[in-house]
Amino acid sequence: MNDFARVEEKVRAGERLSFEDGLSLFLEPDVLRLGALANWVREQRHGDRTYFNVNMRFEATNVCEASCSFCAFAKLEEGAPNAHTTTHEAAWRELAEFPDPRLSELHMVNGLHPTLPFEWYEDLLRGWKRVRPNVHLKCFTGVEIHFFAQKFGMTHEQVLSRLKAAGLGSLPGGGAEILHPDVRQRISTDKATGAEYLAAHRAAHKLGLPSNCTMLYGHIETFEHRVDHLLQLRALQDETRGFQCFIPLAFHNENNSLRKLPEPTAIDSLRTLAASRLLLDNLDHVKAYWVSMGVATAQLGLRFGADDLDGTIIHESIYHSAGSRVPMALSREQLIRLIREAGRIPVERDTTYGVIEELPRAPQPEAALKLRDRFAQKRALSVVSGA
Amino acid sequence: MAKLKKGLVQNRYRRDDDAARQQGLLRVVGVSFLNAQPHLHGLLHGLAHERMHVSLAEPSELARRLYEDEADVGLCPVVPLATHGGFELVPNVAIGCDGAVRSILIVGDVPIAEAEELMLDASSRTSVILARLIVRHLCGGREPRLCARPAREIVETVGGKSLGLLIGDTALEVFGRFKYQLDLGQAWKDMTGLPFVFAAWAARPGTLSDDDRELIQASLRAGLEARPAIAQAWMRGHGGDADKHLAYLTDHIRYDLDEAAQAGLHEFLRRAAEAGLIPECNLRVAGQPELPVRAQRRSLDALLEYAADGGRLSVEDALWLGREADTHELGLAADMRRKALHPDEVVTYIVDRNVNYTNVCTTSCRFCAFYRPVGHAEGYVLSRDELGKKIEETVAAGGIQILMQGGLNPALQLEWYEDLFRWIKATYPIQLHALSPEEIWHLVRIEDLSVQTVLSRLRNAGLDSVPGGGAEVLTDRVRSKIAKAKCTSAEWLEVMRVAHRLGMRTTATMMFGTSDTLEDRVLHMIKIRDLQDETGGFTAFICWDYQHDVGTRAVAGETGTVLYLRTQALSRLLIDNVQNIQTSWVTQGPGIGQVGLRYGANDMGSTMFEENVVSSAGTTFGMDAAQIERHARALGFKVARRNMRYELLCEPA
Repeated sequence: MNDFARVEEKVRAGERLSFEDGLSLFLEPDVLRLGALANWVREQRHGDRTYFNVNMRFEATNVCEASCSFCAFAKLEEGAPNAHTTTHEAAWRELAEFPDPRLSELHMVNGLHPTLPFEWYEDLLRGWKRVRPNVHLKCFTGVEIHFFAQKFGMTHEQVLSRLKAAGLGSLPGGGAEILHPDVRQRISTDKATGAEYLAAHRAAHKLGLPSNCTMLYGHIETFEHRVDHLLQLRALQDETRGFQCFIPLAFHNENNSLRKLPEPTAIDSLRTLAASRLLLDNLDHVKAYWVSMGVATAQLGLRFGADDLDGTIIHESIYHSAGSRVPMALSREQLIRLIREAGRIPVERDTTYGVIEELPRAPQPEAALKLRDRFAQKRALSVVSGA
Repeated sequence: MAKLKKGLVQNRYRRDDDAARQQGLLRVVGVSFLNAQPHLHGLLHGLAHERMHVSLAEPSELARRLYEDEADVGLCPVVPLATHGGFELVPNVAIGCDGAVRSILIVGDVPIAEAEELMLDASSRTSVILARLIVRHLCGGREPRLCARPAREIVETVGGKSLGLLIGDTALEVFGRFKYQLDLGQAWKDMTGLPFVFAAWAARPGTLSDDDRELIQASLRAGLEARPAIAQAWMRGHGGDADKHLAYLTDHIRYDLDEAAQAGLHEFLRRAAEAGLIPECNLRVAGQPELPVRAQRRSLDALLEYAADGGRLSVEDALWLGREADTHELGLAADMRRKALHPDEVVTYIVDRNVNYTNVCTTSCRFCAFYRPVGHAEGYVLSRDELGKKIEETVAAGGIQILMQGGLNPALQLEWYEDLFRWIKATYPIQLHALSPEEIWHLVRIEDLSVQTVLSRLRNAGLDSVPGGGAEVLTDRVRSKIAKAKCTSAEWLEVMRVAHRLGMRTTATMMFGTSDTLEDRVLHMIKIRDLQDETGGFTAFICWDYQHDVGTRAVAGETGTVLYLRTQALSRLLIDNVQNIQTSWVTQGPGIGQVGLRYGANDMGSTMFEENVVSSAGTTFGMDAAQIERHARALGFKVARRNMRYELLCEPA
């Protein structure tokens, strides 16, 4: 029995996969077999149900102390070309005037700004809660939380408690990159370490704040680093059960200092998605984030282990700065169509996976047959009436 | 000009079955051959009154109508029956023979065992496959070189070691005129001891009532009585000798579908399937137990395995796979087929440039955002300077071909193309892959010439090969909705048939996702496979889904990445006789283009350089040679550049 066949047996039996098993997933040459297995797990958990939400992205500032080599979004200091920090009023107005009444989530990720005071962030959240109290605020990555803790002399718990009091609902998963220090030290020297990222999330979970987690793949890391990363996330999840969703993020290579590296191809994205679904046996959801993978590959991802497409987004800047060619937004209707085309049932969710609306699956495409049935009936009638 | 334009933009799809359907009449289609007339006699003389709408067609058109649900019941030749699968036969009645038939002959100067070439009148696929089974039997499994030719050409060129298969009227006319003559009815009888069945009444299960079947049988009873009158009428309409016609109908044609005829039919289905010439198709006669050809395909898994091993699929099989097979398993089966056809694990692509010489077009297709009507301010025709510059850039970038397609611009005559092609070939070292069938038909219509003449003249002027664009979905019910000014599916195929006969190679495409269903897509692929059986001229098949972001008017139907990959995988399994499947990264993006290499494709298409049609509809993807190679290598393939005939231009690496 080869490695993959052994892993397949373990998965079907519900056994936990080891580091070596995880590695064999990435090394399995037959991506379709891997995809079929991940799809099986996904269907065991969710059937055909596939989640999406109506959300908007917000980036309060792209001024950032960190200088990650894969990032084309952050500008190092205020006043640099294209550096931008929002005002409270502009941020509140953008949410207040957001036209879609179905909006259920605001997703904010920022640069690590050197001078903004902590109260500025608290006020930002409070203002949002005032203009649209029903919109869930999913803000600040683990890296930002750690940055606040260091900068303002607080513990993770203190930072998170105050933000929670100001209206924070959950943490997005960004900033995980690759947790293993060998890689992290080369691409992100001056921000939270892997352990610190995990500590911020642990603290959030303890306070009852759910969070997501991510992995930036396809740059200088090896498959071993990816498996190690996933197992670290799995270990924390065993401890806290606070992760809702894992999102693999494909490296993009424009306008950053890693631009000589090729980007991961679709086959790598699908492999990573499938392997993640199989390794993260204690996470409910795995997302095919369309901004990162591309719309088409994300759609196919719904058959390679993913059960979530993310949301309408509206205005993503981070990936688009690094050369992503996907649209800036998808409409709710487009998301529904994408999910239906993949043969799945679209479920509009809120941030914590509460169901807002479950939509019917696509009608079965048997128009021709139905026409024939109608004709047969009609004919039967005409024969009767003629007789 | 106004008059010309009106002439071009006619609806080519006037369908007389619509009215019949609305009136609740059963749509019956018979064959316009002499041997079918007894079957139709009663129906045409009052029996069909107020119950059935009867029309006549050539066998290939009859099969098309039955396949595309434009007819409810038809006197269908047995090979289209098997190719489709799932039809049910009316008991007791058929067209066949028991021994010599006179209307299916192999003729020539020398016995078939000495033949080097057999020219086939391919208008009857049943006769062709019967001939191949008999020839293989008589030649110890060997087959001479086969080539499809029009009947008249065969009669004129038979001689030496070149023999011909003739059918129908032509066969009856030449009977006894050649030194060597093999009557295939007799040869089948000698080989199997059984009668042969050419055609039988076929319908989808549940369509016919007992009364309908009784009417069809009664029609034949009346027709058998009226054979002398039928022979007389045939002489008046078609010439010939009434006595000979009567003798043919009385002494040679057998009309029963009795036990012996069913045994003969079953034996033919079995032998032809075993030889891989037709799909395995069980014999279903209404009210009788089904006679399986082979009992192995009872489950979806078994069917997938059969397909992955290269078994020939019927329409019915393909519909089952398309509806129910798991996406990954469909991909795995297609991947196995790809590997069997391309064991070297080499992915190919061509460095060529897409050039759209004009956007002026009279067809107004609803799915198109590229065209401009005649007189529109944004209409263009590329000048020689512009075109020459594009070709120079292509050559400089290592390109070997330009793919030239455009709108149906009434200002451009055949001579314009001839001059242009001659100039291009005289000026640049470049292959010319140009003018899709629709553009050829356009020239046929405005010049009032035959397809053969137009293609010959273009070839003489430098045309190397014909691109398979504009096929959309090759069923008339879809084409009549989305592109009703365009050529019919049969006309599209006819251009390809003639091009192949002239020695040109072509590709075939399918753009799905407008008003088509799985059934339309499968029928499209079957039509490509059928023509490929006849000519062998297609080098590749390429499909993609309708790109509908901006500027188009057709409503998007069944589209999407998953369906694209399923469709491509199905095409690899179903079109077993076209060597190459291209993945359409231009429409799907580099990512899915790459993934497509695991769903049956072995080719990454072309570098394009520019794309103007789907990009008008909002889809813009670009890859250069290096990116194409990287995407293929990331899957573990070797990569090589090729020409249009898929000859490798370098060592794979």
